[in-house]
Amino acid sequence: MEPLPEEQLELYTLMVRSRAFEERAGALVAAGEVPGSWLSGIGQEGTMGAICQLRPDDYVTYTHRGAYSFIGRGSDPGRLLAELLGKGTGYCRGKGGRHIADLEHGILGKSGTIGGHAPLAIGVATAIQIRDGDQVVVSLFGEGTSNRGTTHAAMNAAAVWRLPVVWVCENNGYMGNVPAPMYTAVADIAAMAPGYGMPGDVVDGNDVLAVHRAAAVAIARARAGDGPSLLELKTYRMRPFGETSTDLRDPQEAAAWLGKDPIERFRRRLVDAGVLTDAAAQAIGEAARAEMDAAATYALDSPLPAATDAFEDLYA
Amino acid sequence: MRSLTVTQAMNEALQEEMRRDPTVYLVGLALYPSAGDSATGGLVEEFGEKRVRSAPMSETVIAGSAVGAALAGMRPVAELHLADFAFNALDEILSKAGKWRYVHGANHGMTLPIVFLQGIGGYVSAGAEHSQSPVALYWHFPGLKIVVPTTPYDAKGLLKTAVRDDNPVIFFTHKLLDDAGPVPEEEYLVPFGVAEIRRPGADVTVVATSYMVTLALQAADNLERRGVAVEVIDPRTLEPLDIDTIVGSVHKTGRLVVVDEDTQRCGVGAEIGAQVMERAFAALRAPVGRVANPNLPVPYSPPLEAAVLPSVARIEAAVLATLDSMR
Repeated sequence: MEPLPEEQLELYTLMVRSRAFEERAGALVAAGEVPGSWLSGIGQEGTMGAICQLRPDDYVTYTHRGAYSFIGRGSDPGRLLAELLGKGTGYCRGKGGRHIADLEHGILGKSGTIGGHAPLAIGVATAIQIRDGDQVVVSLFGEGTSNRGTTHAAMNAAAVWRLPVVWVCENNGYMGNVPAPMYTAVADIAAMAPGYGMPGDVVDGNDVLAVHRAAAVAIARARAGDGPSLLELKTYRMRPFGETSTDLRDPQEAAAWLGKDPIERFRRRLVDAGVLTDAAAQAIGEAARAEMDAAATYALDSPLPAATDAFEDLYA
Repeated sequence: MRSLTVTQAMNEALQEEMRRDPTVYLVGLALYPSAGDSATGGLVEEFGEKRVRSAPMSETVIAGSAVGAALAGMRPVAELHLADFAFNALDEILSKAGKWRYVHGANHGMTLPIVFLQGIGGYVSAGAEHSQSPVALYWHFPGLKIVVPTTPYDAKGLLKTAVRDDNPVIFFTHKLLDDAGPVPEEEYLVPFGVAEIRRPGADVTVVATSYMVTLALQAADNLERRGVAVEVIDPRTLEPLDIDTIVGSVHKTGRLVVVDEDTQRCGVGAEIGAQVMERAFAALRAPVGRVANPNLPVPYSPPLEAAVLPSVARIEAAVLATLDSMR
């Protein structure tokens, strides 16, 4: 079911805010304010079409990339940036950096190993199943992560146990600078789904309404207790692997994908449909940038943790 | 008092805890229909297939799903069968269970109440990949509590404590430790971090865990007939470690031997020996002795296996060596 016009505007605003966050995070890295780095999801905001449909009591496990899970779930950008800056006011008190949990919003944390979150996702879904709940877990991963045994083991278990998981593969075509055909022999990761006994669907990941439609089906299936699904979103990252990495991909390819920018596409569509005016789009962008500037100020003004904090939090 | 085996005692602990707390559940390979006389046997009949989950053949799934479920408010008991197999899930155990709370700054009071059951031990001609006792490996990493029960009484009381702990616990049981022993009918808990002096003695302190306690007690019996009084200390948990009881004993005896079935290098003996030197160097009258696997895979054939794994004779020799080295 197509989202209502006001829901589409909300979705558009979330995407714009996510990008504004990522641009602000990238600027902080460039300014030398971030002790680590940030792995940008700019260009992949079409994933918001899945995230925006979740209930407050649902769960997300996210990859190493992008802010849309957090922005889409309602996390506080100030605390996110504070964490990135290693500040004591960050979500993880400066211990996680870009490995962030926001349990209040059902974001369970970040695995340092690619694909390490997949087995955790089925555990959350197990908890839901034991409690006879109707929540769902959306588990994001990249096409490179489909190489890992953890991914395969978790998908098999999710299907066997009929767990309420929606696997969302964000296929951006590259593992760092290495093109996908060098590490995956099939063109579509979704082609793996029947091998586990679950439905798979290939979606234009830069068409947020297409993502929304496909995710609605998968989420409903999971909520009804009918088991997992695999969605593959074909997309492209518009930034290097990390904000401090060198991009060796073909500049012509990057330029071609720029024309498919998911936010710009959605904006044109909303304007054409009369849902959004150019002036309103401008205002949404400015408000998002102002919000992220304020978040950055909060993060920059926050104190660093005390050295003694290193000795806390290991055991409950 | 009635007698139960370690397996029966653990089975009873799991049953009691699952009755007490609906968030406690089991996940592991072949938990039904064939769990039989194991620690998880018979529980599916009472608690159903949702709470006694037979898993696909993947330690990653067993351990990793336990971590995820714990994050979502459950108290999983993950049955990994042998410690050798649990190596397939080291990322899930070491880097997820062990570090997740710390890395995420205890976000919103995050807890990880998980018990990982692992079988250890050789002496049964099971070969190199079914005979390991990698206890020190887990001890090396932050964030994991480590339980190494010896008696049925301790197995039950420590397992109940482990299930109620809000942190990940590795619970090691030895293949050969299944003799029956007294277990009270009434409920009890055994706290973590409290060592048990299995046998008092004034001459030499021997620290041993799990099946090594059995060997150390035999060695102590033999040495008593030669006039040497050995004090055998069973720490019961390594993390937390009751170092005070060990140091107190060394202050009395001046001599320490640590027995560990695992490979010696960077092992339990190295750690306890170093801690005792830091805490009680002046009290030591001889170098700390170590009896352990001399850094070899555990071989299959009985004479080869016996040459590698600790024995009563090697413990006796190590104890006598501390008496030869006077200062």
